[in-house]
Amino acid sequence: MTAKTMAVFRKELIDTLRDGRTIFAIFVFPFLLYPALIMLMGYIQTKNDEEAKTFSVQVGVVGAAQLPIAEEKIGAVEGVTVVPMKSEPASYDDANVQALLVIPPDLRGLIARGDSVKVELRYKDADNKSSETAKRLKPALDDVRQALTLEWAKSRGATAEAPPAITVERKDISSSKELGRYVAALMIPYLLIFMVAAGSMQTAVDATTGEKERSTLETILASAATRAELVIGKVLAVLAASLTGAVTGIFGLWLSFGVLASRIPVMQGQALDLSISPEKMLFLFLTLLPAAIFLSATLVAIGCFARSMREGQTYATYVYMASVFLGLSSFTQSESVPMKQFFIPILNTALLQREILTDTVQASHAFAAIGSSSLLAALMLVIAVRLFSNEQVLFRT
Amino acid sequence: MIEVQGLRKTFHDRKKGDIPAVKDVSFTCHPGRVFGLLGRNGAGKTTTLRMLATILSPTSGTAKVAGFDIVEKPAEVRRRIGYLSGDTKLYDRLTGRELLTYFGTLAGMDPAAIPARIEALAGPFGLADLLDKRVGKMSTGMKQRLSIARVVVHDPEVLIFDEPTSGLDVFGAREVLALVLELKKKGRTVIFSTHIMTEAERICDEIAIIEKGSILRQGTLASLGVGNGSGSLEDVFIEAVKGELDDR
Repeated sequence: MTAKTMAVFRKELIDTLRDGRTIFAIFVFPFLLYPALIMLMGYIQTKNDEEAKTFSVQVGVVGAAQLPIAEEKIGAVEGVTVVPMKSEPASYDDANVQALLVIPPDLRGLIARGDSVKVELRYKDADNKSSETAKRLKPALDDVRQALTLEWAKSRGATAEAPPAITVERKDISSSKELGRYVAALMIPYLLIFMVAAGSMQTAVDATTGEKERSTLETILASAATRAELVIGKVLAVLAASLTGAVTGIFGLWLSFGVLASRIPVMQGQALDLSISPEKMLFLFLTLLPAAIFLSATLVAIGCFARSMREGQTYATYVYMASVFLGLSSFTQSESVPMKQFFIPILNTALLQREILTDTVQASHAFAAIGSSSLLAALMLVIAVRLFSNEQVLFRT
Repeated sequence: MIEVQGLRKTFHDRKKGDIPAVKDVSFTCHPGRVFGLLGRNGAGKTTTLRMLATILSPTSGTAKVAGFDIVEKPAEVRRRIGYLSGDTKLYDRLTGRELLTYFGTLAGMDPAAIPARIEALAGPFGLADLLDKRVGKMSTGMKQRLSIARVVVHDPEVLIFDEPTSGLDVFGAREVLALVLELKKKGRTVIFSTHIMTEAERICDEIAIIEKGSILRQGTLASLGVGNGSGSLEDVFIEAVKGELDDR
């Protein structure tokens, strides 16, 4: 390390540390934004867990007479109603249960002979409610396994012989189509938010702070166009860029998992049935629109406020990160989402889109999400126009 | 025509408090004449011109541009002006034609009339080869010619030039000044700010010497004494601002 290298290092460090924005970004913002986002995610997770414990489910039990304790233990779980069944239903979907416990018909004989015993809980990972039910039943199933072991021990006179394999298995019976729908419902809303945020950043900063940096701002301010016309034009451009990014991103996803994965041998493990009907595509687009306008207007407002491209990009990155965090929060959602969360911008869009993709849309959720996002989008547009009309903001140094 | 009456602009700084940038400035610019605002950097030229272009609002006082009050009718003013600042750049990714179309549209021109107007400007402004070229690939001189064409695309009555030759070489500057004189011949009202004495002497019919936001002297070159005893415009300028410099 030469003296000259160190001199350059010291100069750059001093230069950086005297830049108030850098200080804010490195030393202040992480202590404000990240804890706030983590707390928000934690709050959402806690609320979801609370909600997950309260919803009512039905669990089918086939062969309950063979193992009465199973019916007893499962029935004792909060919110669970046992539906006794004489035989396995021909179709799980028609049985109107969220999980199915299948007890072998000759359970007693198996135990008496010391043969292996398998009690199976069938559920669907691709169905949130079914998956939550399986999780909720875990302590009850542990009790069932313990009861089976005891029964075997009693039949043997509690001798020290090795016990047979007694298992209570959880079996995911989701079809590839259901799994594809589940992955789509989980991934697509998040990816759409991610792509909208990523696609709008550069255009928004270039269209606002870029005008300041190029000194072209004055030329448009001195034109016959009103401030509102200028801002709305810019927001529309940002919106077009962000939505194009979202559409191409989803197309790329479909191409990768829906088309290429099934045709390329090494990718076949990743193949998913990601077919989404045109109506759903349209609804996804319509629900995305208010959130995308809100994000575009927010980024344009930030661009109006920022003094330089560097400052604008720094602020835009924070908006992007906040959006990604909110989008990610939709991953942790259970089947029954508290109404309040449909008023949290970005998250509400991801949640509503998940409902669209899983055919579980509730009108109140749709009104809350679209209504609040539209209101916020309108408010942010007004703020952007106000900032663009304020000479103290536009020409601040 | 531009009629400025007691125009004042004060900026507020959290640390320094109120900073007066322009103090009670008054002057009149007539059609078919070039009015020069002569002053050093930071004298208040740009702030004055930005107020006339309705980019900034005056703290007090007012001005009429093309017959409309800049405070009460800013939209009407903007329809009738062309504004060019020397440090203004253009959009590098647009072609000359796209750029002129954009500003013609912002000025409220009939979209059908814009192509013909661009063709009409191409000859006098030497733009024929530039119209389909991207701005980013043009030389500084080409960009400045395009900038002026941009300012006049909607044929405004009043032209506001804020140091338009800034950063240009001698040839580029001469071209710009020739175009300004051409606009004067066409009867447009032109206000032109500069800190270059030779430019002001060459093209301005009237000059106002501005320093620390105040106009110290104004009039024609002859009435300011240029060439008849008081020496060159530079001598007149230094004599006028000397007292203000002593206060620094």
